Amino acid sequence: MEQPIIVNSRVIDILAVLMLMSTIILVGTSRLKTCIWAYAFRSFLLTVASGLIAYFSGLHHIYITTGISLLLKVIFLPGLLFYIVNKTNIKKEIESFISYTLSLLLSCGIILIAYYATLSIIQFENTFMRHCLPVSFAITLIGFFAMITRKKAITQVLGLVAMEDGLFFAALSTSYGMPLIVELGLFFDVLVSVIIMGIYVYRIKESFDTIDTAFLSELRE
Amino acid sequence: MIIPLLLIIPIITAVACILTKGHAIPKYISIAGSFITLAYNIFLNYNIYTHHSLIGLNGFFYMDALSILTTQIVTLVGFASSLYSAGYMTVEFNAGEFTEKKLRWYYFLFHMFIFTMLMVCVINNLGIMWVAIEATTLSTTFLVGFYNKKQHQEAAWKYIIICTVGITLALFGVILTYHSSSSALGEIGYTLNWTNLLTVADKFEPHLIKLAFLFILIGYGTKAGLAPMHTWLPDAHSQAPSPISALFSGVLLNCSMYGIIRYHIITSKCVGADYSCTLLMVFGLISVIVSIPFILVQRDYKRLFAFSSIEHIGFIALGMGFGGMYSVYGAELHTFNHAVAKSLLFFCAGNLFLKYKTREMEGIRGVIKTTPITGVILIIAVLAITGTPPFNIFVSEFMVLADSFSSGNAFIIVFSSLLVVCIALIFVGFVYNVFKMIFGAPVQAIPTGEVSKFTIAAMCFLLFFVMIISFYVPPLLREILSNIYDIVRNA
Repeated sequence: MEQPIIVNSRVIDILAVLMLMSTIILVGTSRLKTCIWAYAFRSFLLTVASGLIAYFSGLHHIYITTGISLLLKVIFLPGLLFYIVNKTNIKKEIESFISYTLSLLLSCGIILIAYYATLSIIQFENTFMRHCLPVSFAITLIGFFAMITRKKAITQVLGLVAMEDGLFFAALSTSYGMPLIVELGLFFDVLVSVIIMGIYVYRIKESFDTIDTAFLSELRE
Repeated sequence: MIIPLLLIIPIITAVACILTKGHAIPKYISIAGSFITLAYNIFLNYNIYTHHSLIGLNGFFYMDALSILTTQIVTLVGFASSLYSAGYMTVEFNAGEFTEKKLRWYYFLFHMFIFTMLMVCVINNLGIMWVAIEATTLSTTFLVGFYNKKQHQEAAWKYIIICTVGITLALFGVILTYHSSSSALGEIGYTLNWTNLLTVADKFEPHLIKLAFLFILIGYGTKAGLAPMHTWLPDAHSQAPSPISALFSGVLLNCSMYGIIRYHIITSKCVGADYSCTLLMVFGLISVIVSIPFILVQRDYKRLFAFSSIEHIGFIALGMGFGGMYSVYGAELHTFNHAVAKSLLFFCAGNLFLKYKTREMEGIRGVIKTTPITGVILIIAVLAITGTPPFNIFVSEFMVLADSFSSGNAFIIVFSSLLVVCIALIFVGFVYNVFKMIFGAPVQAIPTGEVSKFTIAAMCFLLFFVMIISFYVPPLLREILSNIYDIVRNA
């Protein structure tokens, strides 16, 4: 870069921490609708953070991605997930292979790992990246963790979008977002993949009468 | 404009297939469309071949020998598969397995799938390449779950979840690459173009690139079917309709491998070839070893062929990892050989399924008596895929192994010795399982004869390539393969 961009805002740090906390809700709560609200809230924080980064850095293309992510991640996708939950009439709350207390404990461990891993590998150019990259990595890993420990198909989708949010934030904090065309492609992929997964959650519910993926055991060796 | 046209043809075909009425017309449109794609691709590749590489649309598209090989496989197997679909899907449609509307959707998704795979190979921008690889998953999920019964839905769910998570991890690799390029390069690094990255790869932060390659290998490796991330593969390949299984095994795996090789080149240039080669070798050998027990005790023939794909993709990774002149040459030749031979095998599997209505090997006996042509082709395909001389896979496997044994590197020799043992075991399991189906008296009264002319035409088309490479590698292909070695080595 010709002249270094300085983003040194307390506000973004606070937003990052709040995002991390709303991701932990995903592994720490048993209510499905709370998780979707947490997703919408996290996406909203992410949008605000990316708007602030656009403002501080003066890179105009970030405003475009901010706008799209507001429409897509804060409004459309949570709405779609609520629609699926209502349509499939999911009554039982989230079931997990391990207990909530243990999940919370493990996600604390994940956050520590994320901090150690990023601090030892990457040389930080500024404090902004130093604060935000470990958080984004932790969000990604917690999303991954939620995907592998939760039984419900819809929670796996929630874990996936958490991973995606984490990576979006990682791209913002390391290099102020990807090139615009790549970002547009990413949004398109996220949109289509969540829609397809939604259709399959519905179909699995119709034919298995549950969306508990532990019951998906037709295909074995 | 010359490269984008290659992408536009499949899209037009897809749209034409879904807009037409009736069940007979879409299949002819589909065959015509994929034939035009094939013909145009040959013309395009000839252009690239004479210029060595081609850049289109301000560096957005880029094609060189590596892309030529992969697009050639996509269009070749794509054409064979559309020919096969015309027979297979019509028989299934007449049996009342699905509605006319679904048949049109099938052809639509088929050509969108071809489009996304071609996109992976011609794009220069590594971010968009990621988007395209993810798009191959999205366009095929409904094809995996096409019959929409319980087991198909399960396979489709597993497929989309595991592949999307894998690819999401790869995105972290892309972000790290982008970060290191933008901090090393300034303006020029902002494009994420492969050609730009390659020119300055030696200025990157080595730690970052190593980490990025690891994420890319795990992410794209999930899609390529490298063990231990392969768990979606046998389910998806066995539950999809056979023409799609052929495209999955023959082509889709190679497209993800293509993505890995692009990063492999950048990584080798930055930190030396050892790091990425060792990783490729380790993952390759694990894949070959993991496939053995499942091949030995398999009961479902489509799963058997799917596990064999894991073995072969592992072999290709090993060949790239050995890194010698003839290893890389052999691995790339193997990519082509495996694509035609495995697709042929899945076409045979489709014919068996249409005839016997079962995927269990127990229920099938005397294939050579009930469907003589399929039986003979199945024998050739099985011998070819297990690496029996004189068939094509033997040629490429021999090349890689001969080169690795003569390399003088103890590490490589240990790996290739293990590999020889694995290949022998797989040969035993494969031949034992399949030959029981081919010979013997038919268990129940099944009318003799082939199911469809289209399927036989498609099989003969691929058989031609299997036989050609067995005895003679055309000079043009030889030239392209050694160009690929130059591209990989120039790093």
